[in-house]
Amino acid sequence: MLENLGKKLILHLQVGPLRISFDLVTVLVALAVTGFLAWGAWWLRRGLSRDPEAPLSRRAAFLIAVLELAETQLLGGFPKRLARDLLPLILTLFLYVLFCNWVSVLPIPYIVSPTQNLNVTFSLALLVYALAHYYGARERGLAAHLRGYLEPYPFLLPMNLIGDFGRTLSHAFRLFGNVLGGAILTTIVAVKFAPLVVPAGLNLWFGLFVGAIQALVFALLASAYIHIAVE
Amino acid sequence: MNISGEQLVEAVKYLAAGICMGLGAIGPAIGEGIAAAHALDGMARQPEMEASLLRTMIIGQAITESTGIYSLVVAIILLFVA
Repeated sequence: MLENLGKKLILHLQVGPLRISFDLVTVLVALAVTGFLAWGAWWLRRGLSRDPEAPLSRRAAFLIAVLELAETQLLGGFPKRLARDLLPLILTLFLYVLFCNWVSVLPIPYIVSPTQNLNVTFSLALLVYALAHYYGARERGLAAHLRGYLEPYPFLLPMNLIGDFGRTLSHAFRLFGNVLGGAILTTIVAVKFAPLVVPAGLNLWFGLFVGAIQALVFALLASAYIHIAVE
Repeated sequence: MNISGEQLVEAVKYLAAGICMGLGAIGPAIGEGIAAAHALDGMARQPEMEASLLRTMIIGQAITESTGIYSLVVAIILLFVA
């Protein structure tokens, strides 16, 4: 088990001069999580009335409560109009990362969290980076948004650029490092010290608790970065 | 006792990973503790601010943690990749 740590099932494709590699387990688990979330959304959405005046069903009341909680918790500082705009994005990020972290506690052999793969976390962080610039340019105008890099003084431009870069880097590495660190620790404890009970507890701790905290942190930081850009 | 070059590199790799993680964990641990202590202080004074304080504390701790995560990534690279 330990000697297989870090070994992956990779599919290599040669497209012209490009050599593309797919980590099959990560791709399949990420697609499964996406499918599960889409199915869950369809299942919750099913049977809801389109008429806003209709009496609330139990499911509609539950959804309203959850969405309002998410709006106040994840998008507290935003103006109402922008919060409505951003809620689907931030909530999807939260749920996707949450279920990607939680999937590692399933008792299926060879299954790993997709968030253990730097490519997954980096693409999510780059998505947030691009959207922060998009919303910054849309809300304040492109010129005002770009002028933000010259504040407080023009000669601090390199610092602002490095800060921008490092923010995205740490956004990706934080999720990746936390999830991968937990997984490695669980594996090492299971192989070297205590093969029974203890690894299961560690897996639950790192998978469920740390996974939930990190998903919350990822979504909160995404919302904070967009908030900085639109302010 | 003769130690070959590869053995030395292997030994230093583990030593470096240990030092990297050990020293790298000190700063974030102290910093996150201070952040939590002050957030608790604020919550005890103004319990009605709890939700907003908790959210800000988690964001602050997450940013504080990134240096610790960097050292974790370096330690992982030393152990499993390098």
